[in-house]
Amino acid sequence: MENVLISGLQQGLIYGFMALGVLLTFCLLGFPDLTVEGTFPLGAAITAKAMVEGGDPLLAVLLGAVAGALAGAATGLMHTRLKVNNILAGILTTSAIYTVMLRSMGRPNTSLLGYEDFYTQVLSLCGIAEGKFSFVATQIAVIVILAVMVVAVRLLLGWFLRTDLGLTIRAAGNNEKMLSALGVDVNQTKMLTLVLANFLVGLSGALACQMQGFADVGMGIGVLVAAIASVILGQMLFGRQSLSRLLTGVLLGSILYRALLALGLRLNLPAEDFKLVTALLVLLALTMPKFQLRKTKKRMFAAKTRRGNNHGEVYLEAGAEHHD
Amino acid sequence: MERYTLKRGRSIMIKLSSVYKVFFPGTPNEILALRNINLHIRPGDFITVIGSNGAGKSTLLKVISGGEMADEGRITIAGKDVTDCPEHQRAADLGRIDQNPLTGTAAEMTIEENLALAYLRGKKRGLGLAVIGNRQKYFREVLAETGLGLEERLQTPVGTLSGGQRQALALVMATLALPKLLLLDEHTAALDPQAARQIMETTARLVQAKSLITLMITHNMEQALSFGNRLMMMHRGRIVLDIAQEEKRQLSVPQLIAKFTAASGSALADDRMLLEKEGFSG
Repeated sequence: MENVLISGLQQGLIYGFMALGVLLTFCLLGFPDLTVEGTFPLGAAITAKAMVEGGDPLLAVLLGAVAGALAGAATGLMHTRLKVNNILAGILTTSAIYTVMLRSMGRPNTSLLGYEDFYTQVLSLCGIAEGKFSFVATQIAVIVILAVMVVAVRLLLGWFLRTDLGLTIRAAGNNEKMLSALGVDVNQTKMLTLVLANFLVGLSGALACQMQGFADVGMGIGVLVAAIASVILGQMLFGRQSLSRLLTGVLLGSILYRALLALGLRLNLPAEDFKLVTALLVLLALTMPKFQLRKTKKRMFAAKTRRGNNHGEVYLEAGAEHHD
Repeated sequence: MERYTLKRGRSIMIKLSSVYKVFFPGTPNEILALRNINLHIRPGDFITVIGSNGAGKSTLLKVISGGEMADEGRITIAGKDVTDCPEHQRAADLGRIDQNPLTGTAAEMTIEENLALAYLRGKKRGLGLAVIGNRQKYFREVLAETGLGLEERLQTPVGTLSGGQRQALALVMATLALPKLLLLDEHTAALDPQAARQIMETTARLVQAKSLITLMITHNMEQALSFGNRLMMMHRGRIVLDIAQEEKRQLSVPQLIAKFTAASGSALADDRMLLEKEGFSG
């Protein structure tokens, strides 16, 4: 059972970086950025390549994250400069990334067996040498390291999204026209968000690669839906009333989701069903509020008709379309 | 403020020269929305604009704000040619409010966050916290002027406000950074009569207090006559009447309608305008 807990926490924290990135694009900016399915394995592949080339593990992780940021920039440029549809731009980048990964690694996967990984390096930097402590103690130390990193990123994001610049990201997701009328180049805002979000996703991929000891071009399949599930779990548990709740909720959602997966594996549930179950859960979570909204709308229209307010009705309809 | 008086009258702040705008060119639906618009707006101007459905009133506002690009002609604001500038590059000089209260504010952000966005209209945005003590104090002061009690609800998400409250906030946001020109596109039309009256009063007060140059579209003839110091009528993409303050002051609604019929060669056709006209006489 303690393995479930350890694995859930470690995976949850690592994928938490990704969930924060997905929160930035999908929830705050309102940009369904499919690039993340490519960015995640790209971060891993670049890290693995850097390690094999003799790079420092810390530097390798950083390079993985930067590669992710560049992928985000590619999607952003396609969408903002070349006016490619946002979903298609992400698909194009993801497809291109596949070649980049194969070319950089030279084959579909790279094992890091025998290399000193990121975690061992950080542990020894902290004075915790390998083999000195029990397996469990070492794993808990890894969790602490990851937790410190995630919390630092969470706090940084929380601060950034409250600055003058960060506010524009949320405003772009809310009301692009208003933001433009207030003198903000919405294209720049989108670029900034995509770069930032994919940096986090690349970082997530790099850390996952260091944890599992290999990179594989196929390791991005299904990570997006998992991240969305984490985001939704977080919102269900913590609500979305405030930015802080949203950010913290996403991290706890990610940990919970990974813990559930680890538990499922532990209970010998068929692993091949996990992705279908995740997809169904996300679908359910997404459609529930819609049904509630329909009920609410019916009530509102009934009230408006009773008051005989024609203008009000027109405005309500326009508003509903605007928000969908 | 770049307001100065030349020897021969007031300087021109906004200038439109031979502006044309076509929608759906080359198709059976082709609409010439603006035809040879020449307009000089001067400091002190509060222009009300009326006209039939599809007269090009909103298009006129949009080509000034950059929401639509003029197909021909030049537009200058305070001497700067902005004809080819995208909307966000003109924003520093312009404040704009639409008919729909949803378009002027960000629903999921708080009142103070919305104001912080408007506070830096057209300026560079950095990494300083958006909502800080002295800004909050300022936001409270400007909100108090609207008399809706919004200054006590700075942390409320804007989505929970009523249409009138949102439009009042939009008004404060549009005027917060002192625009060179305030563009109002039937900004009270979607509100109930009481809220509409309140917003209109606040508008007039703000325009007066901050001496804002204003261009206001309205379908309400009484409003067009009682507010502002200059009245324009548009018809099929043209400005058919431009009435100065002295003449405007003496006009009544029926006289105005008669003038329009004479100038355009057709009856004034705006559904809502006619409805309200009947409302006045009955």
